[in-house]
Amino acid sequence: MSDASQDVVDPNAPVVGMDYFMSLHFNEIICPVVRRYADALLEGKLIGHRCPKCGLVYAPPRGYCPIDVIETTDADEVQLADRGVVTNYTVVTPVAYYGQEATEPFAKVSVQLDEPGGALSLQDVLEIGADEVRVGMRVEAVWAPEAERNIDEIGNRSWGSAEGCIRGWRPTGEPDVPADQMSDKAF
Amino acid sequence: MAGDIAIIGYAQSPSWRAAELTEPQFLFPVITEAIERAGIGRRDLGFTCAGSCDYLSGQTFSFVMNLEAVGAWPPISESHVEMDGAWALYEAWVRLQHGDIDTALVFGSGKSSPGVPSEIFPLQMDPYTITPLGADPVSLAALQARAMLDAGKITEREMAEVVARSRRSAIGNPHAQVTGDHDVDALLGEPYLTAPLRRHDLPPISDGASAVVLATAGKAKEVCERPVWIRGIDHRIEVHQPGMRDLTTSASTRMAGEKAGVGKAAVDVAELSATFSHQERILCEALGLDDKVDVNPSGGALAANPVMAVGLSRVVEASRQIADHGKHRAVAHATSGQCLQQNLVAVLEGD
Amino acid sequence: MSSEPCAVIGIGQTKYKKKRDDVSLPGLVREAAQRALDDAELTWTDIDAVVLGKAPDPFEGVMMPELSMADALGANGKPLMRVHTAGSVGGSTAIVASHLIEMGIHERVLAVAYEKQAEGNAQWGLASGKSGGMGAGGIFAPWMRTYINRSGAPEDIGWKVAVKDRQNACKNPYAHLQLQDISIEKVKESPMLWEPVHFLESCPSSDGACAMVLTNEAGAKKASKPAAWVLATAMRSELGQFPGRDPVRPVAGVECAHMLYDAAGITNPRKQIDVAEIYVPFSWYEPMWLEGHDIAGPGEGWKMTDSGATQISGDFPVNASGGVLSSNPIGASGMIRFAEAALQVRGEAGEHQVEGASVGLGHAYGGAAQYFAMWIVGSSLDAVAKKQ
Repeated sequence: MSDASQDVVDPNAPVVGMDYFMSLHFNEIICPVVRRYADALLEGKLIGHRCPKCGLVYAPPRGYCPIDVIETTDADEVQLADRGVVTNYTVVTPVAYYGQEATEPFAKVSVQLDEPGGALSLQDVLEIGADEVRVGMRVEAVWAPEAERNIDEIGNRSWGSAEGCIRGWRPTGEPDVPADQMSDKAF
Repeated sequence: MAGDIAIIGYAQSPSWRAAELTEPQFLFPVITEAIERAGIGRRDLGFTCAGSCDYLSGQTFSFVMNLEAVGAWPPISESHVEMDGAWALYEAWVRLQHGDIDTALVFGSGKSSPGVPSEIFPLQMDPYTITPLGADPVSLAALQARAMLDAGKITEREMAEVVARSRRSAIGNPHAQVTGDHDVDALLGEPYLTAPLRRHDLPPISDGASAVVLATAGKAKEVCERPVWIRGIDHRIEVHQPGMRDLTTSASTRMAGEKAGVGKAAVDVAELSATFSHQERILCEALGLDDKVDVNPSGGALAANPVMAVGLSRVVEASRQIADHGKHRAVAHATSGQCLQQNLVAVLEGD
Repeated sequence: MSSEPCAVIGIGQTKYKKKRDDVSLPGLVREAAQRALDDAELTWTDIDAVVLGKAPDPFEGVMMPELSMADALGANGKPLMRVHTAGSVGGSTAIVASHLIEMGIHERVLAVAYEKQAEGNAQWGLASGKSGGMGAGGIFAPWMRTYINRSGAPEDIGWKVAVKDRQNACKNPYAHLQLQDISIEKVKESPMLWEPVHFLESCPSSDGACAMVLTNEAGAKKASKPAAWVLATAMRSELGQFPGRDPVRPVAGVECAHMLYDAAGITNPRKQIDVAEIYVPFSWYEPMWLEGHDIAGPGEGWKMTDSGATQISGDFPVNASGGVLSSNPIGASGMIRFAEAALQVRGEAGEHQVEGASVGLGHAYGGAAQYFAMWIVGSSLDAVAKKQ
């Protein structure tokens, strides 16, 4: 039997770090309201819910109004405009991390949709450079052709994503809404 | 401090094997119901505290979405623990003693269904020495059950009896998930899953939420016909390494029970977070509960195990026993970590 | 009901660094905790309860780490809680700990907050593992843009904050970034991360821990060093996203500040607060929070920065420690703000001490600028009253 003390690590030895990769799998049932939202996207429609109490429009629908804390249902469904105004934006310079595929700076915009309302954030812009994005710019959704649409990335936590169906938003060419009118629409 | 804190309202969701709704979607009706039962307005609440776990949800900052279930506009004072809602209750209980606010909302919620427990829970262990072994809850509980059997502190039959009794008690509990009448011999005839545990010795995988409304004494007397008084509450943790603890006892439960004053008077009913069948005996012994105590009339964690809510649900079920079923004195217990590493004990009384 | 006065009698910090590859997770936490205990002239057995705070567990890959660190935290047989309120967690952890003292539940509480984010990948964690993540600043950059538009602030205000905080950090031996030759030019020329925020206007990613020992009046009297008295605390939260929300001047932030000032007896924060440690992870958040917490009027926050008022030598020093812009172990940053404010009013801030500071503000925020935790500490229980 060997002397156990020979197996003791030298306390003055350099600290060793090791990479430890782990993989967790989560499989979540898509809730009914998101399923409805996703199905509508496949049909080329953006839908939201309007709260029957306060009238605010939630895009995408959550199945409840977080302000009144009441349920919203199919009865509260509204079809949203797929055009609107850029209320805010940033241009992100991507950093490397496991799973990152972006390499070039990309713009992400928030769009305030035309009546009946609703706002989508973290949307992509198309047909212009990231450096041409402006607050107040009028935009319209660029839908993927019906045959190419998919809802693979839409889940319970997509938070405003229309990925796979709406490719992004392009300027309509109409005159901008004056930027100072956007001052209280920071989102 | 000026008087005990009382539980004046509570509610639970059903316990689902796999909820179709998102966590905020099944949480908000539970919160609304608890507030309504308390007989106060939502905006009356002075403080809110939540319990939930990012890793369980598979999402960093997952608790942020749960804020939508609370009614946090206009703004509110609230906090969150990455622990079972029972510890959120503890934080709210402390907060209320200041006297500047008179009610608090507490809730716990979680969806265990999307993830794989044997993948997730090893991450809850020491990352250097235990996680790499892939030590999952069932294996660790099995080691503890083996220790119990070898010490002669329990028999496999007695474990099966706990299961049969729990599932039978759960019949008629709308918040329970696993119910039924089982013959003990039939249970013993089932194969081992991870010896010496059989599948029925394990808790179910559950999605669910529960909520409690607390009030100071003055407020409770004003709005509540049958307040449930928190006479004592305490929580303790032990060393982490399972090999360094006597797994057949629960020193932290004993200590928390003593500090909470369990032994001061007779206990009518106990709702214990015994997630594995052999753990009920460990907890009863640690709390000094004898055969006369009605243990887990709800069916306990063996009947429904919505992780992050299950401990708070024991408080709810114990409160029901007092407020709705005429019991006088109850013990509610919550646990965190594996093999009962951390434990919380609350002593509840009716008027 | 009255509450027991709460005092900070021990403060410990680790050296903040991009990667603390010389210590394990428990090692990092004990480094800060041991320093706090030593500062308080107490030992592990003197502590009645421990409150641990940190940001999302996926940052290190350890779920509910209080369980595996119970031993390292000296918590065997004690109550141990783990708070998680996103970026504000360091602050809310301190507040939860202070309540345990104030309500007479315990006599000596150890509050610890940490992040060892170099063990994982915080960018990955923030992106929830998906491509195209916004990063830490991507969500806030548009709001900074709105502030700039609303206030009419000149473009160099952000750069000035970035320079000030890094110069201050050179006076703080614990700070991660020690950019001796930082300048406006360097900040302006640094790569854009999230337009309009440049690299040098953004917080670093740091490993680190911060700990405090809190006790009651009797405990403070026994301590040989002066205590920092917790004069008031406040926490306030709001929904992060709903139609019509103003994320630039969140109502929860305004309310939190006023609840705090009322509780502390502060009627003129600009005059009565001697030193402020405000959670500024991106440069423009200095003027934004000065306005967002009614220390400066609308559109006036940037003028405080511009005039030099927020320098250590100014009349409202902000982030004498170097702030989040110089050290950012995410889960600890809020507690570092609270601790640095306490250091100041104890006269223990060394080279970055603000002369004669007797009332300090500690501030933390988190989530989509929706969670706020703040405290006022004083060199005496009547520190604010003396300023009437």
